[in-house]
Amino acid sequence: MGTPKILTIKEITRYIKITLEQDRQLNNVWLRGEISNFKLHNPSGHMYFTLKDQTACLKAVMFRSRAAHVPFKPEHGMKVIVRGTIGVFERDGQYQIYVEEMLPDGLGAQYLALEQLKVKLAAEGLFSQERKRSLPVLPRTVGVATSITGAAVRDILKVTYRRFPNMQVIIAPCIVQGDQAPSEIVNAINMLNSRPEVDVIIVGRGGGSGEDLAAFNNEAVVRAIAASTVPVISAVGHEVDTTLADLAADLRAPTPSAAAELAVPSKVELAASLSSYRIRLSTAIQKDLASKRKFSELLAASPVLTNPIARLNQMRQFLDQLQQGLHQNVTNTVREKGAILNVLTEKLDALSPLKVLARGYSICQGPTGETISDAATVKVGQDLTVTLSKGKLSCNVKEVITCQNP
Amino acid sequence: MSKSVSEISFEEALQNLEKVVRALEVGEAPLDQAIDLFQQGISLVKLCSNKLDEAEKKIQVLVQGDDGEPKLKTAVTLEEGTA
Repeated sequence: MGTPKILTIKEITRYIKITLEQDRQLNNVWLRGEISNFKLHNPSGHMYFTLKDQTACLKAVMFRSRAAHVPFKPEHGMKVIVRGTIGVFERDGQYQIYVEEMLPDGLGAQYLALEQLKVKLAAEGLFSQERKRSLPVLPRTVGVATSITGAAVRDILKVTYRRFPNMQVIIAPCIVQGDQAPSEIVNAINMLNSRPEVDVIIVGRGGGSGEDLAAFNNEAVVRAIAASTVPVISAVGHEVDTTLADLAADLRAPTPSAAAELAVPSKVELAASLSSYRIRLSTAIQKDLASKRKFSELLAASPVLTNPIARLNQMRQFLDQLQQGLHQNVTNTVREKGAILNVLTEKLDALSPLKVLARGYSICQGPTGETISDAATVKVGQDLTVTLSKGKLSCNVKEVITCQNP
Repeated sequence: MSKSVSEISFEEALQNLEKVVRALEVGEAPLDQAIDLFQQGISLVKLCSNKLDEAEKKIQVLVQGDDGEPKLKTAVTLEEGTA
């Protein structure tokens, strides 16, 4: 009789571990299940949870480095799809799945994940009304990020050239659904931003299912639209579809054709409005000139300017009145002064030398006309002139008698 | 103004035009200013009109070049209305 080999717990556990981990089928499996007992460990950042369905459950762990890539927040009750590898944690005697990748499973989970993303981006302000820029009135070039095949690009071009026959368009082709779509759309938007003449960008696609439009709910795409330095018009699917891209865009159009209507002005309308300005300018200047002319005519028609003679006559009359007044004044003054003059004249008269002469005195003048009042200044034989009251005498001095000589 | 007249955007030109026309319509400017406004207005109308016509219809496709830089190619088959 042989004794059975007695193993240690370590050995048996090691055996189980090797068996499970060597089985190719347990490497990189895809599983579907519901999360329960979810725990996000702090501060390590590792996620510990259980995946279950109706009959069984499986412990799971997702380390922080992988967990960081999950684009949503796993929650208790959430249905997910995971990719991972089965392993054994010897210490606990636990087999579990080490999760590499996690995706929301089914519409419910996807919707939840989308809602989480929407809340997160909204909190960053990416959808706020203040960020939204107005579109240029006349873009130099229209940028279009969409599939090069398909109706969307054709509709955009058709409407563009109907409204503005000489518009410039640059198309940055990108696929708009599937796994590659988000990075291609991001690339297209960035390339269009690198062209300085692009003044507006239309990004979008035609109608499709929720799945088809998924790229426009992708975080990178939404961020690229928000970061675009050129205003973006989003045109994704039909009117009823709203994607996160639509929320981040500067303007949302219900269809690609509508986007072109918004981006591209009508040349005819612009030309008409220029015409209208031209007319307003002409009308305004003519009106202005006419009213200024009328004003100057009014001035010219005023009595002061048209009949200066009348004014002059008025002036003349006034002047006469003044003169009259002045004359009166002067006459009165003269009369007064005349009376005074008479008195003075009489006084003067009395003092006049002529009156003195009349009384018998005479004026004796020397040869040079000087008046002689002192005999001492006269020599014998000198000629003198004597003026009488009536007439003159021409005399010669016979004798000089001074006061000392009696 | 720091921009030369040709650098002004269509939109700015249109805004200036609106201002000039309004000022002229108010009619309070003295004669030489009014004439000046009128001439400014006409220049702006001409400028805008030129901008409408100066572009040439062109459709181009932007792709990633081999060097990683975006490159423009003229689209030969892509015309509006064609499949």
